[in-house]
Amino acid sequence: MSETTEYAETPLPGPSGEGGAARPATAGRASSPTTSSWRSRLYRWDTKASPYVFVAPFFLFFGAFGLFPLLYTGWASLHRLELTNLNDSTWLGLENYTNLLQSDYFWNALGNTFTIGVISTVPQLAMALGIAHLLNYKLRGSTLWRVAMLAPYATSVASASLVFTLLFAWDGGMVNWMIGSVGFDPVNWRESSWGSQFAVSSIVIWRWTGYNALIYLAAMQAVPHDLYESASLDGASRWQQFRHVTIPMLRPTILFTVVVSTIGATQLFGEPLLFGGTAGSKGGADHQFQTLGLYLYDQGWINGHLGRASAVAWLMLLILLLIAAVNLLIARRLRKDR
Amino acid sequence: MHTSSGRSRRVVTYAAVTALAASLLAACSSDDDGSAGDGKITLNVGTFGVLGLKQAGLYEEYEKAHPDIRIKENVIERNDAYYPKLLTQLQSGAGVNDVAAIEVSNITEIVQTQGAKFEDLGKAEGVEKSAYLDWKWKQATTEDGKTVGLGVDIGPTALCYRKDLFEKADLPTDREQLAKEWAGDWDKYVALGEKYMKKAPKGTKFVDSASSVYNAVFAGATERYYDENGEEIYEKSQGRKDAWDAAMKVARGGMSAKLKQFDPTWDQGFANARFATVACPAWMAGYIQEKTGPGGKGKWDMAKAPTDGNWGGAFLGVPSAGKHKKEATELAVWLTRPEQLAKIFAKQASFPSTPSVYDELKPSAATKAYFSDAPITRIYAGVAKNIPSAVYGVKDAQIGQSITDIGVLQVEQQGKSPEEGWEAAQKEIKDVLGQ
Amino acid sequence: MKTRARTMGLKAGRTMHAGPLTYAVLSLFTAISLAPLVWTAIAASRTQGRLARTPPPLWFGGNLFKNLERAWKEASLGDAMLNTTIVAGSITLGTVLFSTIAGFAFAKLKFRFSGALLVLTIGTMMVPPQLSVVPLYLWIADLQWTNQLQAVILPTFVSAFGVFFMRQYLVQALPSELIEAARMDGASSLRIIWHVVFPAARPAMAVLGLLTFVMAWNDFLWPIIALNQSNPTVQVALNSLGTGYIPDRAVIMAGALLGTLPLLLAFILFGKQIVSGIMQGAVKG
Repeated sequence: MSETTEYAETPLPGPSGEGGAARPATAGRASSPTTSSWRSRLYRWDTKASPYVFVAPFFLFFGAFGLFPLLYTGWASLHRLELTNLNDSTWLGLENYTNLLQSDYFWNALGNTFTIGVISTVPQLAMALGIAHLLNYKLRGSTLWRVAMLAPYATSVASASLVFTLLFAWDGGMVNWMIGSVGFDPVNWRESSWGSQFAVSSIVIWRWTGYNALIYLAAMQAVPHDLYESASLDGASRWQQFRHVTIPMLRPTILFTVVVSTIGATQLFGEPLLFGGTAGSKGGADHQFQTLGLYLYDQGWINGHLGRASAVAWLMLLILLLIAAVNLLIARRLRKDR
Repeated sequence: MHTSSGRSRRVVTYAAVTALAASLLAACSSDDDGSAGDGKITLNVGTFGVLGLKQAGLYEEYEKAHPDIRIKENVIERNDAYYPKLLTQLQSGAGVNDVAAIEVSNITEIVQTQGAKFEDLGKAEGVEKSAYLDWKWKQATTEDGKTVGLGVDIGPTALCYRKDLFEKADLPTDREQLAKEWAGDWDKYVALGEKYMKKAPKGTKFVDSASSVYNAVFAGATERYYDENGEEIYEKSQGRKDAWDAAMKVARGGMSAKLKQFDPTWDQGFANARFATVACPAWMAGYIQEKTGPGGKGKWDMAKAPTDGNWGGAFLGVPSAGKHKKEATELAVWLTRPEQLAKIFAKQASFPSTPSVYDELKPSAATKAYFSDAPITRIYAGVAKNIPSAVYGVKDAQIGQSITDIGVLQVEQQGKSPEEGWEAAQKEIKDVLGQ
Repeated sequence: MKTRARTMGLKAGRTMHAGPLTYAVLSLFTAISLAPLVWTAIAASRTQGRLARTPPPLWFGGNLFKNLERAWKEASLGDAMLNTTIVAGSITLGTVLFSTIAGFAFAKLKFRFSGALLVLTIGTMMVPPQLSVVPLYLWIADLQWTNQLQAVILPTFVSAFGVFFMRQYLVQALPSELIEAARMDGASSLRIIWHVVFPAARPAMAVLGLLTFVMAWNDFLWPIIALNQSNPTVQVALNSLGTGYIPDRAVIMAGALLGTLPLLLAFILFGKQIVSGIMQGAVKG
């Protein structure tokens, strides 16, 4: 970007020392002062350009395989486009969007996505943090504990959902059997509204808690040991150490998991789809656990209205951006206050 | 700092070598253009769950007779995942299977919107139109007379019932007598259900689900969701109304075990004898047998349903974008020949769409014994010959699903009133149709 | 807090021993974690008739090997596993490598538009994957990649998740002084990546690699569309198990078990290394 000004400046004396000496100059065309200036220029070019080079592969691949779908769906969301005929589209302007905003199903899906997101993400991250803390102690057989925690994540959504569907079956399922044994009536886990959302959330929590715990654990390992030592010298209990040392040091990682889980919750799809069984994309007879991801799938893949499904996707994106913007504003305000 | 950098370098080097090897392997193994090095042609057959071509040994037989052909079946478990993929493949013209199965509820949409993307099998060598049921043939034929798919199986629908449960509920158990009792009128079947419920053995219901009653009644309808001009008439369609009413009576009368078909818990319902009757299209007979288990042998029986109808079935088509259209056409034609379809029936009771073989059909001995030696072939053949010709529509599958999985289910499992259920179904259908 | 962390350098790792309560709580969570998996194995060891009866079986039956064998054969899992290893291995390599260097750039290097580019990166995560299926298929079809492994490798070869993850990790775990010191020594960017960033990032790289591998292994929506059973991944192959005329749930469970087993085995075999990668933090001593 600013390479031109770079060259205008007087070259700094080249770097010297082991680093330079270890590698003999391969450019044999000049005497040593020019070599050093050549090298310093190269060096400065390197510091300037390397950040771009480092982020380039990601953007190149994204450009090749992510951008086209994104633009295509943006275009599709403004058209009537059917899966049965992708070569024939009618311009609709914003009609897909206005239709969606008037659709009960869309708002219902948005609400479900929110509630399922909250009841699955919050306990999940809290438990993950606790588990990571425990795993961070010196444990006998630490590998085995970690593997065990990660086993749910290794299980495919398909088999996890199948097992949970059986657990939550209203007739003869394990959960209802237990409820029954303490004298309560069986719950229709799939067709009741809170019951189904609870069941879907439990699949999500089960699958992802160990995963987040591992991420936290990795970050905890990078917390300098001395911090804990000085904290314990100050008489801090383990819990106080956890609160006042671990959590603050983990802040970037916690922020990361919150962002990723929020995005993941917004796109929640596989678990409710498979939990629903046949016609799973409807998310229950009253759409009681139809998430935005399911609604999108139902519109685009089952009903074949690609244009409409694209509009759902773009609305999802806009909602996420909105959340991000609000977050940012709040964060800024907080920082100012401090 | 240096203690770990040596190690990390090693790790990265290993990783790089692995990746290189991996991409080389990928380059080798991704060679799949249908003509293998030995001069053989590989034909891909795309199907969803239930066709049984492979299980009946048809591929093996064909490969033996045609040494230069190899057949690969690409199965996707559920049609609701298979069908959109098929559409996407047809649209892009890439990745299509040489032979593609089409479910009956999608055939009209295929005929009306994808007709140009299929070979005309009606004109293929060795195909006799007269061998197939007339309505089955018409279903897969475009307005200008192009036949995009040949019929594999059809779903003539009978009623299967558990004699042991009927007996305990003081109901007649003779199949002829039962058929006579409810002949022509599903209300009589429902009335029998009411009787059953009065003395129902503990923990059992009359049917598995209200939706299965809906589907069974609707299977015999002459008026379905569309009229001849392709206009939706689901609101006032007589066939739809009859089916809905019957399903509502079952749901409201507490006669249903409230299971959802093809759920794991539905299987448990069979095994635990939770219901006494289930509408059984031919393809379901084997399912009942397998899922109820050996303990159900001789306890199940089969009778003619109140009305004759068709529930389910499939076609085979040849996409024009395929690489080996000629060979694929030959294969599709061969696979749907009457004698081949009879072999599928012998294996898994899927009923042929070719009436010429009805007299020779033999169900497996096990199946026959399982259903108390009921004359399975005769029952199904009788139904097959009486299936009314009806108008099918573009979004039949999605409309049907909206009614059963939204409307009926709301009444059956969420305790809503039939009016509320129907309203919800209508709203869903409007959304499905993009109105 | 930050300055303190810096002066401490990279010394990391804790030595506090776990008490009995810790073991008790962990055991509880382990039981919950493993129960569905164990039950999958129990189901895989039964017949489908037994599975259908209530109450469901709570202990192993004698059909495990028969079912495993059937699942292995019917889904031709051998080929599928080789394919999946290639796919997941390549994706993991690409993701870990590119995420680390990009994450490093975002965390520690100053360059124009870095903020905007980071937001854009995170933004790409928000595109719902279900929707990309159709345009991506059209794209893959244009490239003539249908039913070939690169069709499932390249679209997920890099990951915004990974970039963001590495960035968040390195912000905290890699002291800027180390980079400055290396720069003072005249180290080139590549040398810094190699000698400073990679060692510091190792625990996170191990975790990211593990998570990416598992995710790639289990991915099903796009592979089922892009591939077919002549060149399948494990999930594509397993999808054919539910498709017999009468899906045998015991065999399906056996297939699910077989599909997960390699991952668990890898965890246990390489777990030591992964764990030690995590445990040692950036630098010993």
